[in-house]
Amino acid sequence: MLTPNGDKMASAPHIAVIGGGSTGIGIARDLSMRGLDVTLVEQGNLTHGTTGRMHGLLHSGGRYAVADQASATECIEENRVLRDIASHCVEMTGGLFVKRPEDTEKYFQEKLAGCEECGIPAEVVSREEARAMEPHLAKDIDKAITVPDGAIDPFRLVVANAASAMEHGARIETHTTVTDLLVEDGEVVGLEVEHDSGSGKRVHGTEGGREEIRADYVVNATGAWAGRIGEMADVDIEVRPSKGVMTIMNVRQVDTVINRCRPKGDADIIVPHETTAILGTTDEEVEDPAEYPEEQWEVDLMIDELKELVPILEEARTIRSFWGVRPLYEPPDVGSDDPTDITRDYFLLDHETRDDLPGMTSIVGGKFTTYRMMGEEISDHVCNQFGIDADCRTADVPLPGSEKFSVLRDYMDEFGLRSPIGRRSVERLGSRADEVLKTTDPNPVVCNCEGVTRAEIQDAIEQSGSDLNAVRIRTRASMGNCQGGFCCHRMANELHGEYDESVARQAWDELLAERWKGQRHALWGEQLSQAMLNYALHATTQNRDNDPADGEPVDFAAFDAGSTPAQSSGEAGVAADGGTEHGD
Amino acid sequence: MSDAEQPTETDPDGEFNPSAPNTGEKFEPVDVFPDSDDFDLRPGSDSCYKCSTCDTNCPVAEVDDEFPGPKFQGPEQWRLKQRDDEHEIDDSVMDCSNCMRCDNACPAGVPLSQMHNTARGEYVSEQMDKTSIEYWRNRILSNYRTSAWLASKLPRLANVAMNVTKEREFPEFATETFREWWDKRGAAAGSKERAQAARRERGLPEDADKKVAYFHGCYSNYNTTEVGKAMVRVYEHFGYEVVVPEQKCSGTPMFANGMLDDARRHAEVNVSSMSDLVDQGYDAIASCTSCSMALRQEYPELFDIPGIDDVAANTFESLEYLRIHEDLQGELAEVEVSGDLAEEFAYHAPCHARNQGLERQALELFRDVDGVGIEDVGESCSGISGTYGWKAEKYEKSMEIGEEMFEHMEHAEGDTGMTECPTCAMQMEHGTGYDIRHPLELLEAALVDGRGV
Repeated sequence: MLTPNGDKMASAPHIAVIGGGSTGIGIARDLSMRGLDVTLVEQGNLTHGTTGRMHGLLHSGGRYAVADQASATECIEENRVLRDIASHCVEMTGGLFVKRPEDTEKYFQEKLAGCEECGIPAEVVSREEARAMEPHLAKDIDKAITVPDGAIDPFRLVVANAASAMEHGARIETHTTVTDLLVEDGEVVGLEVEHDSGSGKRVHGTEGGREEIRADYVVNATGAWAGRIGEMADVDIEVRPSKGVMTIMNVRQVDTVINRCRPKGDADIIVPHETTAILGTTDEEVEDPAEYPEEQWEVDLMIDELKELVPILEEARTIRSFWGVRPLYEPPDVGSDDPTDITRDYFLLDHETRDDLPGMTSIVGGKFTTYRMMGEEISDHVCNQFGIDADCRTADVPLPGSEKFSVLRDYMDEFGLRSPIGRRSVERLGSRADEVLKTTDPNPVVCNCEGVTRAEIQDAIEQSGSDLNAVRIRTRASMGNCQGGFCCHRMANELHGEYDESVARQAWDELLAERWKGQRHALWGEQLSQAMLNYALHATTQNRDNDPADGEPVDFAAFDAGSTPAQSSGEAGVAADGGTEHGD
Repeated sequence: MSDAEQPTETDPDGEFNPSAPNTGEKFEPVDVFPDSDDFDLRPGSDSCYKCSTCDTNCPVAEVDDEFPGPKFQGPEQWRLKQRDDEHEIDDSVMDCSNCMRCDNACPAGVPLSQMHNTARGEYVSEQMDKTSIEYWRNRILSNYRTSAWLASKLPRLANVAMNVTKEREFPEFATETFREWWDKRGAAAGSKERAQAARRERGLPEDADKKVAYFHGCYSNYNTTEVGKAMVRVYEHFGYEVVVPEQKCSGTPMFANGMLDDARRHAEVNVSSMSDLVDQGYDAIASCTSCSMALRQEYPELFDIPGIDDVAANTFESLEYLRIHEDLQGELAEVEVSGDLAEEFAYHAPCHARNQGLERQALELFRDVDGVGIEDVGESCSGISGTYGWKAEKYEKSMEIGEEMFEHMEHAEGDTGMTECPTCAMQMEHGTGYDIRHPLELLEAALVDGRGV
């Protein structure tokens, strides 16, 4: 809601959005572009919940073309939109539905017909053609259907949406937990939140605090956590969280999305994602979206099943596994027993009409690929509450980074970077590449596995404060085959200058802990060796096993000065051990 | 194959004639992988733990701060790469000298040199300007016959127009090639007679199954023909029938310059003629450690040619083979070397010999021989790496890498060098002025010429 000269109207309603996943951030961008005043709160980092724990598939809709054609149609529409507005987050790999001899011809034909009915471009290719596209496909497959599946980086997409929302005046608060809904006279009027470390960019060690955020309307976009928010105002939201495991391979065995062409089942997809390939997944209902068992058999199942499509997976290196929780929802009267039968569609629950609680709407269910469409629908709904008639522009305006750009550059001439490093950097930064990478300062590579330079790390620190996990999701630094073994300390080092030693130390510990989390599920073969080497390095050269400096800040000046405090004035002196003073 | 079936050079079927072996002309390889130069080596990155041992063992990275090192060239670049054409190979791959020390250094079995060779081939075929002086300089340098011929005719042109260093002198050509000598000597038929005579003398059955196919390489044929002659005499001395089949360059300088199409063409001829012989029970013997390296490791890693694995499995370096099958130590204990080669040798093990586990063979063999001394000049690379040290822009770096070896040679007793590699020998000679000999020459002096001493 802008005045003709572009200023925000003083009377713009203030909307509080809960949840910094793709849905919440999509809503925040949409509403702020329509001129509303938006505050978004997220308990962890952006993408902390389900969004950061998905396989990165940009659906063509092919997976739903038989059983859920409404979802399939939405997917292909949004697939086209995202290629356009989020080009730096998307890699159009193409996808294949591969039929093995034991998969039925009937289903293959249904899939083909379904794609046609939903407007999804699909063609049948022979075994030879499929294997020419993907040489690692099994020799005994029958044939395949090509579809326009793609790969999308959920982190980059959410970060770009957040940047766009902030450009339009939104306030984004990460590491901020909702402790209560403010309900006055039977109406939701805002949130009570607890900031982990002050408001704004996260800086470790900054004192947190409570804040009351009053809002004209609240949107609950917390996905699998929606029920928790509902409870705060005594409304019942029956989300049925369902966990799925994903296993990350060290390299891309395939450059095309590989789906198994069969009705439904576990472990039926391989998504090439950046430098890696992600295997997925399972579908099992859990009680608590934050606490559920992560079991080895689930990981084993991925490899055992998917090696039938791509045999080399059996021998290939796994770098980590992670679990995500789908925020599935179905109206209580449906009562599916099996979570795979629950629709992937989304539901907008207006608590005023549903529970007689005005001031809040929850959005549940849905898929990452259609996040923008969901944002549009809920933004329309919010605008309706205030009689605002503003067009949605999120399908037309490219995200920051996705304005026109080319990855075909002379990386050495333009950026002083080796070509594979320059290429990966420009792919990640999109149209922001020049702004970030053209620097007159030394620009060494910080993360060798993913080709991330100091300039990109510094850009991320500028955006997200001292939080190295936030730097990680922006840059992919520490997400390669050594899983941070050789770069976590370098990343922490990059905080120096802006932040002091104790902040860097906390951020470093947090990053190491996060990196270890997923590697625990890949401790065999090469990754076990890698973990042992990382441990030895971190323990013997960085005191990461038991750091005497943890706790009270260390007075480094006392060491630098040598044994005689009187000589610490900067003059070179002889230390007690007979060596010359260090640092002169 | 039993001895009864052993073909002779007068095989009436005309199927096999060791004095005029298969030229490879009739051979049409089945192209199993039409794009076999486009192998996807990303899975090779799975073995890398990023430990950087390869980088600390790279002689080029040690002297060239701009060179990002084997870890980047190999597992990192391959992992960052995608199969599409748009993902380019970094041009720094052309600064790798292909010494292959990284292969040996890696504790985890990353196929580093295969990754480098493949990346370099892709860089040259897809990205390098085919009209550039660098391309043609590299192409000519890696085709030894052409470059040696050109340089012998027009040395200044090579220096100025081709950007070849003027610091080095082109090697002298023998007035009679090894193959001309071989033919004059009676070729395979003559060798068979002499081998049979040697067997009789040794009390072996006259038809003993001792036969080898000699891969002499370019240098022994055109320049150091004495090495080729020594090989023949030493092997015949032990009762081996030698054949010298049709052959082209091993491809080593072509791999190092990314000229994989040229290398493949030559490899097809070599594999074809060697695999026919291997099928008949011959083993392939090379006197140059880079030639044996090519046949054993690089061929099967880079090409898919029928028979290539059998050839690789049956290829040996000349000393290595004799040490396996003969009592060299015993025979050497009985003799004393005199004459020209009664010297103190400063021995340098070529990098490619190290990759085959052969870096100690000459030392172990000769250290107790009467009349000679031998001293290891250390484990550094000589720095020339075939064509690397010939390039004007690489000359200084080549000499910097070689510095440690030169120093150790100076400190060693005596002023004669020894090595198995012809280009290491050039560098040793260039840096110290020493005469450089091949271990086969000393074996010949000790066992063939020295008999009865």
